[in-house]
Amino acid sequence: MKHMEYQKQISLLLDGALDSPSQRKLVDHLSECADCVRVYEEMVSLNDSLATVKFSLADHALADNVKARISRHSSSFRYSWNFSLLKQVPIWALIAALAVGVGDKAGQTLTEALSAQDATPKIDTLLQDNSESLSDIALDFGMAENSQ
Amino acid sequence: MGRFESLSDHELVKASQNGSEGYFGELVDRHTNLVYRIARSITGSHEEAEDIVQETFLRAFKSIEKFDESKSTFKTWLLTIARNQSINIVSSFRRKTFKFFSDRDEDDPELEFSSNPLSQETQDAETQLSIKQQFHAMEKALKKLPERQRSALLLKSQESMSYEEIAVVMDISVSSVESLIFRARKKIIKLVER
Repeated sequence: MKHMEYQKQISLLLDGALDSPSQRKLVDHLSECADCVRVYEEMVSLNDSLATVKFSLADHALADNVKARISRHSSSFRYSWNFSLLKQVPIWALIAALAVGVGDKAGQTLTEALSAQDATPKIDTLLQDNSESLSDIALDFGMAENSQ
Repeated sequence: MGRFESLSDHELVKASQNGSEGYFGELVDRHTNLVYRIARSITGSHEEAEDIVQETFLRAFKSIEKFDESKSTFKTWLLTIARNQSINIVSSFRRKTFKFFSDRDEDDPELEFSSNPLSQETQDAETQLSIKQQFHAMEKALKKLPERQRSALLLKSQESMSYEEIAVVMDISVSSVESLIFRARKKIIKLVER
């Protein structure tokens, strides 16, 4: 096996990922190869150094900011939840609800149905319907004048 | 001691999936440093790493209901989001444009070392200086590694993750993780020697 292969095994050994037979072969090789022993020592030293350069935040400010942002998002999410639930109602169910709910307004236009005012035409309240046509009224008017 | 500190990540995730925001807050407390370290190691910027931490947790919160623990641990899932976010930022136009003007903030007052050796009054000035020099030399060498090598190495050396977990986070095979870590070690040893 080439030196590079053994050095790759050193890396695996440091990470606890080398199987026992390979470990034995590696140990045998290290007992007679100064170059690979040097690589082993360098990698051990590197591992120690890497533990030292570990970044760490000094306080909880960032975590607190994250939680505050999640809280804001969560409250706006709850607000929009009701609206999104409405969108999940099938359209046929909305139509059926409208048909049942506005049954007493059947035959009216949408404007009439939505208007709070009485939809009865105002002309009916001004001119009472006595089942007379316009010519009947004119005839009555003429006969009254003639009789004078 | 916080209300939820005795609970495992698994229990906190389950409670969060049932809509409890407070339990998710405990997950934020536990993993903020971890996400920050990964983001910082990829972007090389304190400010960008902070933004990535915020975005990562917000995304995780939004999609916590979809998270499947049979596929990965919460930590692995979170780091996958963080790494993808970091890579997006690094490769963005903004990053490419401004990286020449703001190489990196030399002194981050918010940061401390893992064991916080510099803040210990018991250590003499000479030791502190030596550790600080070692820190900067190592960080400089790490920055010269390709992103994939650096991420794999740090996830192993600093977060003690298994090869399998790293493979999930980086979306590569276990044998690729082994190679990346080995090549990273070889390269960084050469860089430090110079």
